[in-house]
Amino acid sequence: MKKSNIATLLVFLLLIPATLYLGMRLPGRSYYITGTLIIIELMLPFFLAFEGRKPQARELVVIAVMCAIAIAGRMAIPIPNFKATFAIIMLAGIAFGPEAGFMVGAVTAFVSNFFYGHGPFTPWQMMAYGAGGMLSGFLFAKGRLPRKPWIMAVFGFLCVILWVGPLLDCSHIFLMLSGISWEAVAATFASGFPVNVSQGVCTVLVMVLFGRPLLEKLDRIQVKYGMMEDENGL
Amino acid sequence: MTDAFSKCHPAVNFLFFVGVIGTGVVIGHPAYLLAGTVTGVIYYLLLNGAKGLKMILGLLPLYIFLTAINPLLNTYGATPLFYLLGRPYTLEALLYGGTIAGMFVAMLIWFGCYNKVLTSDKFTSLFGNLIPAISLLLVMVLRMVPSFIRKAQQIIGARKSIGKGTQKLQEGMTVLGALTSWALEGSVITGDSMRARGYGSAKRSSFVIYRMTVLDRLLVVIMAALMAFTILAASLGQMSAIFTPALDIAPVSWGVIPYTAYLLIPVALHIKEAISWHISRSRI
Repeated sequence: MKKSNIATLLVFLLLIPATLYLGMRLPGRSYYITGTLIIIELMLPFFLAFEGRKPQARELVVIAVMCAIAIAGRMAIPIPNFKATFAIIMLAGIAFGPEAGFMVGAVTAFVSNFFYGHGPFTPWQMMAYGAGGMLSGFLFAKGRLPRKPWIMAVFGFLCVILWVGPLLDCSHIFLMLSGISWEAVAATFASGFPVNVSQGVCTVLVMVLFGRPLLEKLDRIQVKYGMMEDENGL
Repeated sequence: MTDAFSKCHPAVNFLFFVGVIGTGVVIGHPAYLLAGTVTGVIYYLLLNGAKGLKMILGLLPLYIFLTAINPLLNTYGATPLFYLLGRPYTLEALLYGGTIAGMFVAMLIWFGCYNKVLTSDKFTSLFGNLIPAISLLLVMVLRMVPSFIRKAQQIIGARKSIGKGTQKLQEGMTVLGALTSWALEGSVITGDSMRARGYGSAKRSSFVIYRMTVLDRLLVVIMAALMAFTILAASLGQMSAIFTPALDIAPVSWGVIPYTAYLLIPVALHIKEAISWHISRSRI
């Protein structure tokens, strides 16, 4: 068995149950700590697998470029409240596969917080973006879903509304609510909803206007240089 | 003058903030919370000077808002202050809201300090050996972001000079597309160049700028000891605070002393440095 597989098994069979058990035993408001630890533990296998298979230089640089574009895109395009970040993460996942999608998403969230400030939400944001990128990579791989701009736009919108936004709201629920009751949770989700919708609309706009041209560019690079096909690079 | 704690080994900085944030999001006892907030504010002001005051004052409305909203969501509590739409607005829930909002605001302040102390170069140097590929990825992204912003501005400038750039969104997307093409072509060249220079052929060594000094080791021991006492105090139930349905807050005991001492470590270092600087200057 590969080392990273053993690590994954250890995380799921030992680390997470242990965290849950200790978290329940801890007195007071420990659900934020427990939740955040579990989020970090869920991401660990992905990072370990990436680290363990010793990625090639080209792959590393391409992932870094996609992250940097997702971050710089927000600062370089002078349109207020317009974030193309998640759309670029999705496109990276669709073009380069689920694993690259996860890495681009998680690293983008992490590094962009060096520019905008880290906070208690950082691990949650990494998980939200990473899993979003991975899911889009998984769904659009091998022609499972056609790579039509409208389909990507609808998927992106749903992904932001149903996954990325709610997960970020969850970090607020665990951190700020006094008691976890259904109405308090509903109120938090409701207050986050307009922000999520505006992010979702941004994603749709980018996908419709820009999805096909950017995807063509990403595919072209892969065909031109034969990337991500064989493990030995050249 | 630069901050003395920021000059310590990154591992010391990282451990300290893990301790602060780890305890800060769990302990809901008002006395400990007050200690956390006050020390956080002092350190934040030492790091940021007068500019920091604006941020701290800006947190005040957020604090009041978060405090006031809690009783609307949480109606448990024995002493209703008034009724809003038939729901009680209780004193206990208000106090609880004040505590939770305080924890949140204290976290924001401490994260502000974290951002100032544990900069990205320290983070990557700390984890460079543990996760070499990912930390190389981080370094590359951190380098590329400013360079891409410069390139985007060049593209925008070039397009302006030929009279393009009216439709805002469409224009933004065009710039992003041009930037992507340029960056991806460059990435392949970078990757091949790295490969040609032997990336991945052996374990990477790294230039280490930080050394563990005697002071760093001493700080780790002090931090561990103070944290152990804090955890001991917590396990004795000194930090239990139950607000609803009735107030039941443990009396303030000795546990607050090691906790406050832990939080004051950076401030103490800062002041010690300022004093020794003052003395050595007065000798001239």
